[in-house]
Amino acid sequence: MKEETKRTVRTAVLLVFFIIVISLFIYSRVTARPTKETFKDKLDTLGLWETPLVYLAIPALYIVDYFSHSWICLLFAFSVAGLIYEFVPKEVITKYMGRGKTVGYILALGMAPFLTVCSCTMVPLFGGMLYAGAGIGPAIAFLLMAPAANILTILMTGEMISWEIAGVRILASAVVALIAGLIVSMTPWGKAIEKEFQVANSAMPSTKVEIVKPSLDERLWAVLKFAGYLAKQILPFFIIGLIVVGYLSVFVPEEIVEAYLRGSAGILIASVLGGPLYTPTLVEIALGQELWNKGMSKGALLSWLMGQPYDFANAMAVSRIVKWKIVVTYFIVAWAGSVTFGFLYGMLSGSL
Amino acid sequence: MKEVKVEVIGTDPPCIRCQAARKAVEKTAEKLKQSSVIVHIEKANIMSKEVVQKYGVLVSPAIAINNTIKIVGRVPSPEEIEKLIMEVVKQG
Repeated sequence: MKEETKRTVRTAVLLVFFIIVISLFIYSRVTARPTKETFKDKLDTLGLWETPLVYLAIPALYIVDYFSHSWICLLFAFSVAGLIYEFVPKEVITKYMGRGKTVGYILALGMAPFLTVCSCTMVPLFGGMLYAGAGIGPAIAFLLMAPAANILTILMTGEMISWEIAGVRILASAVVALIAGLIVSMTPWGKAIEKEFQVANSAMPSTKVEIVKPSLDERLWAVLKFAGYLAKQILPFFIIGLIVVGYLSVFVPEEIVEAYLRGSAGILIASVLGGPLYTPTLVEIALGQELWNKGMSKGALLSWLMGQPYDFANAMAVSRIVKWKIVVTYFIVAWAGSVTFGFLYGMLSGSL
Repeated sequence: MKEVKVEVIGTDPPCIRCQAARKAVEKTAEKLKQSSVIVHIEKANIMSKEVVQKYGVLVSPAIAINNTIKIVGRVPSPEEIEKLIMEVVKQG
């Protein structure tokens, strides 16, 4: 076969694959395929709870159950994350970043959801914003917005819990990120960092950049590879998380959840628990869903999901650039924000 | 005997895709030894002032051949890197 026909065939095959994934997802939505667990009900009707073996099999049952409901959604989420990562132009953000603070904040909050499924993008862009003169404020806003509202998290929150929560989560994260950015940029240590970075001249030296554009089939292949890479990184943790959730779902009685994860105290507890448990691996979504099923209030669920100011790998890389004072400042703002929005949402939705 | 400088620009600590890019470059370098092209691989930190002043703000992993950025934000195959290096070598 000629090189060109080969390429066309590859492009077609890959395109068909993505179209199938997207159609499957739409179809599953139209037919209202359930995404919630059902294995407990099945065990109930079969009356299998008497046998001790069932308890050993809970993790397996739960995982099988979960994936049988959510494989389309997961496939879709990973594919879309890959597509966006490959096709959303990252240059936009670096190009317009130097245009003053307001543009900086808008870009940081608006672009973060699309660009940050990987620390490969996130860490350089964080530094880039500092260098390009957008300042520490937008950079911090970007850093906070990114793990809270990347495309994978939004999709999974919407599908697994509810789109209402997903929407509120994006909105609340954006507000908190903006406030954190503004506060950090006003602190003396924030200003010191800004000064340090403004020395470098980052006007794009275009003479030295001759970016090679890959062909469409290569780009589509890269999408698949990136989706696979994301899945490989996230799914092991996700499965471990599901095992824990599986046991939780059976052994934690609803009374305990209702006693501790409702009301004002519930929001505080949820926000504190959510923090250290956070891994950008969708586990917090599965856990949150289970706790919600067991009676956690909506307000507490929101602060549970938001109580995660950063993901660890990125924070490690970033803390090398900014000082610990900045990390502490935005940690506190993020935590306070998650509690505040938990209360607000709880009161407004009547589920405190 | 030709010599080429290839900079692999990534985050520090290196992210997984930056490591993948570096491995691909190393593989190419090994192969090109046989066709008597010597590839000097340098690792650069995308966040350092030197890199930003030289190339501007990039998305990692990025690869520069003889001080010209060729690849930004993706992991190329060893074959592609080989092709790019050979183009640069031919131009002298």
